[in-house]
Amino acid sequence: MIRIALLSSAHMHASAYVHGLRALSNVEIIGIFDHDALRGQAFAKEHHLPWSPQLDPLLAQANATIICSENARHRFYVEASASAKLPMLCEKPLATTLDDALHMLEAAQAAKVPLYLALPVRFAPGFAQMLEAVHQGQVGRVLAMVGTNHGYLPPGWFLNVKESGGGAIMDHTPHVADLMRLITRSEVDEVFAEIDSRARQANIDDSGILTLEFNNGAFATLDPSWTRTEGFPTWGDVTLEVVGTNGVIEYDPFRPHLNVYRGDAPTHRHLGFGDNMDDHLIQAYVSALSQTAPHPLLANGLDGLRALEIALAAYRSQASHHPERIQHLL
Amino acid sequence: MSSRIRVLVIGAGTMGTVHSRAYARLEDAEVVGIVDPFDFNPRLAIDLNVPQYRDFDDVPGSSYDVVDVSVPSRWHLPYVVEALRMKKSVFCEKPLALSLTEAEEMVATAMTNQARISVGHCVRFFPEYVEANSLVQSGALGDIAVVRTFRGGAFPTAWNDWYANRNLSGGTLVDLMIHDFDFLRWVLGPVTRVYAKTTRREMNRIDFSLATLRFASGAIAHLEGTWAHEHFGTRFEFAGSQGILQHDSFQENPISITRTPEGGVALPQSGDLRSPYDLEIAHFIDAIRHDLPFRVTIEDAYEALRIALAAESSAMTGVSIDLQPITPARGGVTL
Repeated sequence: MIRIALLSSAHMHASAYVHGLRALSNVEIIGIFDHDALRGQAFAKEHHLPWSPQLDPLLAQANATIICSENARHRFYVEASASAKLPMLCEKPLATTLDDALHMLEAAQAAKVPLYLALPVRFAPGFAQMLEAVHQGQVGRVLAMVGTNHGYLPPGWFLNVKESGGGAIMDHTPHVADLMRLITRSEVDEVFAEIDSRARQANIDDSGILTLEFNNGAFATLDPSWTRTEGFPTWGDVTLEVVGTNGVIEYDPFRPHLNVYRGDAPTHRHLGFGDNMDDHLIQAYVSALSQTAPHPLLANGLDGLRALEIALAAYRSQASHHPERIQHLL
Repeated sequence: MSSRIRVLVIGAGTMGTVHSRAYARLEDAEVVGIVDPFDFNPRLAIDLNVPQYRDFDDVPGSSYDVVDVSVPSRWHLPYVVEALRMKKSVFCEKPLALSLTEAEEMVATAMTNQARISVGHCVRFFPEYVEANSLVQSGALGDIAVVRTFRGGAFPTAWNDWYANRNLSGGTLVDLMIHDFDFLRWVLGPVTRVYAKTTRREMNRIDFSLATLRFASGAIAHLEGTWAHEHFGTRFEFAGSQGILQHDSFQENPISITRTPEGGVALPQSGDLRSPYDLEIAHFIDAIRHDLPFRVTIEDAYEALRIALAAESSAMTGVSIDLQPITPARGGVTL
């Protein structure tokens, strides 16, 4: 049995990961710790998990951790896991500052434990096939990409810059920028961004358009806005269009859905069907804990650093109104 | 003016044909001749049963009231200027010109001669775009935060492959996306900053561009223009503080016919009895007959071109371009 400790339940993905872990026969969730004890206890009760009032005793019992804290506290939990010599899966974004990110990577490296990053969209339906099609050259050389990752306005700490590091740009840039890195096998060198907070008017960046220039000459735009209103039939989207010299791919992992119309609801809703990306991410993480070679799509701390560099460059660009270069660290 | 407005159409390609047939369908207008400077399409004059000319100068000036300029963009200037000097009313296909110098000469000529000119930004006559504009103006979506537009399809095939030459057509940014630049300016007002990327010039018959606009209102727009796709289509999304509006032409055509591709220039249509081009031409004739304002002024066309050329400049240099408010002396005159 692999004994997993859940570290904080601040991020709503914690529930999805519990679901994914429970589907696996070789895993036991030994408990949850949360620096916000009230929240942690409530989560433990809701999901029938042991509540651990202290961190260290829980870590002492564990083989691995999953970190779902507020973004700015990722460093605390990563360093705690590293000190306990435990492999870890950290929710994205990796951190809110480059300094934190570098210390986290160093801590994992010094402890010789892997630091994986939760980028579940890599495991979304069809993405692996799409990646293979691109790398086989089915659309020729990739010239450009257009991505979106829309969402609702999230609640609570997501809107507090001290905890989250930023709004929609910090929250929604990592997923699709990461897919673009995999597709181009290249890094983003320059970012231009228009960013604003007019969509939800919650005193935090909620909308923007990023333009990314890749080292291999490809370019892309990304719309990570929290512009979905309550009446919208689903939470948001992930879409990615790839334009190559020989063709175009339009990717939308949430296209598989049913439309549900209810007499008492003002709008219809999407009911997704098919593979669940969070379950596949958890499966890949658990496999990586017992096998020597991790799943090729399992992201690590360096992937997280690259995504963070892009989001931070976007904020710099908004301040300067000019494209901003990225000096890659590591 | 005679009881029917007499129109001379210059250019017999895709848009010259569309406009000619639209005039011919009107009660109060008629096509009196086709000038086909490139001897491209003798069928059009034969079908309409009107004389065909090689040279504009060969047409007696007293035989027409209105000149419709639908030759490729590079050749708009001499025809527009000559027609305005003759104090004829002019309908010019978009883009008005390929440079601001050319466009400014047209504006100046129109002002000097007190002649009227409108420009073929036909999107302002497509019903889904008209509805979108009304809905946004009504405030139903609240403050507009982010807009996305998509326009494009296969690489156009036309006379002398002129679309493949950016010096003749302007490519996706100046020929194609100018529709959305104009439309968004119509809906959201002045643009203050432009940033764009485009596939490299050396790509053969693949032209794909992305542009980001910032408006004085604070709104942000993302535009995609492509001649790298298979089927022509348009989309838009307006995301506001109170709601979202989406359009996707791939989902909205009442008829769906799939055939072997034949090339040519894509001509978006609606399922309505009167096409957007019919509405556009009817509005133009009506405005001339009754001395009413044009929905698309030369100032609008000039501004759309200014945005498109700024996007082209941004794509070529890699920097963002600030657009200064237009000075009234240049184009701020309603004609």
